[in-house]
Amino acid sequence: MSRLLLLLHTRLALRTTAIIVLIVALLGGLFLGVAVHLRAANVHKTQQVRLQELITTVERTAQIACFLGDERMAEEVSQGLLSNNIVNAVTIRASDGKVLATGRSGPEFGDTTIPLVVRDVASPFEPDQTVCRMTVEPDQEELDLMVAQASTFIGTALLLQLLGIGVCVTVVVARYVTRPIAELSHRLSELEAETGQKLQAPPGNRDDEIGTLVASVNVMIDNLVESLGQERRLRLEREVEERRYRAIFDNVEAGLFELDGEGLMRSANPAFRRLFGIDPDRNLDAEPIAFTTLAPSYATPGRIVDSGQRPRGHGERDERDESEERSERAGRGGPEKYAERAGDGERAGDGERAGDGERESDGGRKGISGREESGEREEQREYLCEVTHDGTPRWISLLVSPLETGRLQGVAHDVTERKRAAETAAQMAMTDSLTGLGNRRGFEHRLAVMTRHHRLYPDRRHALLMLDFDHFKQINDTYGHQAGDRVLLHAAATLSSLLRQRDYIARLGGDEFVVLLEGCDRRDEVVTLIQRFLHRLATPLALSEGEEARVRLGVSIGISTLGVDTEDPQQAVEFADRAMYAAKRAGRNTWRFYTPEFETT
Amino acid sequence: MNRVRTFLLASTLAVALPVSADIAVVVSPDSGVTTLTRSEAINIFMGRYRKLPNGDLALPIDQSTLKARFYRALVDKDLAEINSYWARLVFSGEASPPQQSDSAADVRQLITHNANALSYIDSASATDDMRVVLTLGE
Repeated sequence: MSRLLLLLHTRLALRTTAIIVLIVALLGGLFLGVAVHLRAANVHKTQQVRLQELITTVERTAQIACFLGDERMAEEVSQGLLSNNIVNAVTIRASDGKVLATGRSGPEFGDTTIPLVVRDVASPFEPDQTVCRMTVEPDQEELDLMVAQASTFIGTALLLQLLGIGVCVTVVVARYVTRPIAELSHRLSELEAETGQKLQAPPGNRDDEIGTLVASVNVMIDNLVESLGQERRLRLEREVEERRYRAIFDNVEAGLFELDGEGLMRSANPAFRRLFGIDPDRNLDAEPIAFTTLAPSYATPGRIVDSGQRPRGHGERDERDESEERSERAGRGGPEKYAERAGDGERAGDGERAGDGERESDGGRKGISGREESGEREEQREYLCEVTHDGTPRWISLLVSPLETGRLQGVAHDVTERKRAAETAAQMAMTDSLTGLGNRRGFEHRLAVMTRHHRLYPDRRHALLMLDFDHFKQINDTYGHQAGDRVLLHAAATLSSLLRQRDYIARLGGDEFVVLLEGCDRRDEVVTLIQRFLHRLATPLALSEGEEARVRLGVSIGISTLGVDTEDPQQAVEFADRAMYAAKRAGRNTWRFYTPEFETT
Repeated sequence: MNRVRTFLLASTLAVALPVSADIAVVVSPDSGVTTLTRSEAINIFMGRYRKLPNGDLALPIDQSTLKARFYRALVDKDLAEINSYWARLVFSGEASPPQQSDSAADVRQLITHNANALSYIDSASATDDMRVVLTLGE
């Protein structure tokens, strides 16, 4: 049964046939019913006619029998009628009520609905005179048999027709629908569309619906092949692009890498591996490296916001403060950024790697990062980190920009040379060429750092010393500039030798020097320092080798204390200046601490 | 067929014309029967009844010279049909054909001597010694 259902499900011809046969069978059943009914009525009618004819046949004899009241003859008539299989019973009754003959060939039916055939028999000599009545009962069984026979015939004919239709429909559908479709399907499965082959319609179906189908399929194949070709071309182009990119990726000097959304490095080119000392054979896709291990100070790239974007000075936000705090904890003396350390570049390599990572490039000053792009939504960020995997520290700039969601692309450049050059330049810019100390610019820079530092730690005191050598102009005028320079060099060396590492000394110009004593709030310490300086300076100095000319240098020193006299470093400089003039007025070669009385005088 | 029949009728009439028309059914004057209906005549001559209306036995007699005319007048059948009718009844034995006489004289003889006798003559030749009970027009 299920097999049959499967067949019906999979065979178009069978399904069509089954449906048509079903419809025909239903209609046929209906027709059969109607036909049998009509046939039955017809058979009844025919039966009546035949019975009438039978009676007519024997009527003459019956007339005589009745006329004479001859029972034997009436019996003959009766038997004659009964010998017909369509007659079941015969009764001949004379006009006076006497039954002349009666007979029955089959069983008696109680059914009174059977239409009896009655004939009044006239006298053979007087047609208007009835002599008897013949009653003939038709044989119902025979009748039914005839109807059944007729029905069987119609039914058989119908069945044969049904079979014929079924076979014909199956054959026709299979021949004209299923076979072309199956053939098409087979051809389609073997079609090599790429070679430009076209589907051929089965002969005889070119102009009908199947032909149209084939045409549509061909159009579709054309489109597919075309788009396939396009796809292939694009793929080839992309492969070429990729090879090109791969060649660049592998051979370019710059390091290239990609990060995923979690900050893990998924790929890096050989240049990048060389820069960071990553094993060239390491499969980064399988064993990614966290970006933070390369630029350790930053948990994620997203946290890094370059301060170059913000106005510098007192209005800075906490983030900067945090980083400064961190660097403070790490043992740094001051909150310098790397670019601000021009004055003490030698410290860069002092092993404090924890602090190195945060020395991000300050785009505003250095001009080496893509700061212009940082204002956009897809922000490009630049990091600077120091790598010492092969013994010599290298500075590497990492430029990271989003590639797509959850993917970042980065370019790494070795900026060591550039950075060193920049550092040297910065250092040069802030160094007094004569003494090697800081110059005015270096001092201002340091003062700015001090400003920030003081704002953060207002409790600390810092002493500011302003020095001006007495009568230096005369030395210059008398002995020449070379002698003057020699004196300045001497004084600078003497002063430097007395200072601690973290103190700062600068020559502002001419014979004017300034000293910043960081964290120094005790006057006696300052006084001790000054006294030792004056004492050493008191030793006469030979102006040149072998010459007897010796000069004694005197110096006037003004001192102000940041955190005591004022909270403003600039003002502290002014105060120290005034104190220095006060010392000069007091007879030179001495020192004065700033007091508010200077303001009144 | 009708034409033939019409022709026969015409020829019969032509033959009969000189003898003049009707046939009279006659009985003996002694008979208790004074009149007969046509139907009663048929029943007796065709063997259905054997008795006269008054209950007496009936003895029908055919006269050969007049037989054809008589049956034609009575039941509108020719002699062949009448003979066939009787031939059919021979085997059943229920009825028997009337006694046959050859001439009107014989009929007269039989009528006058038998009160039950019943026959027919040309109505023109009817006499007082027999009673006309029915006249059949041709």
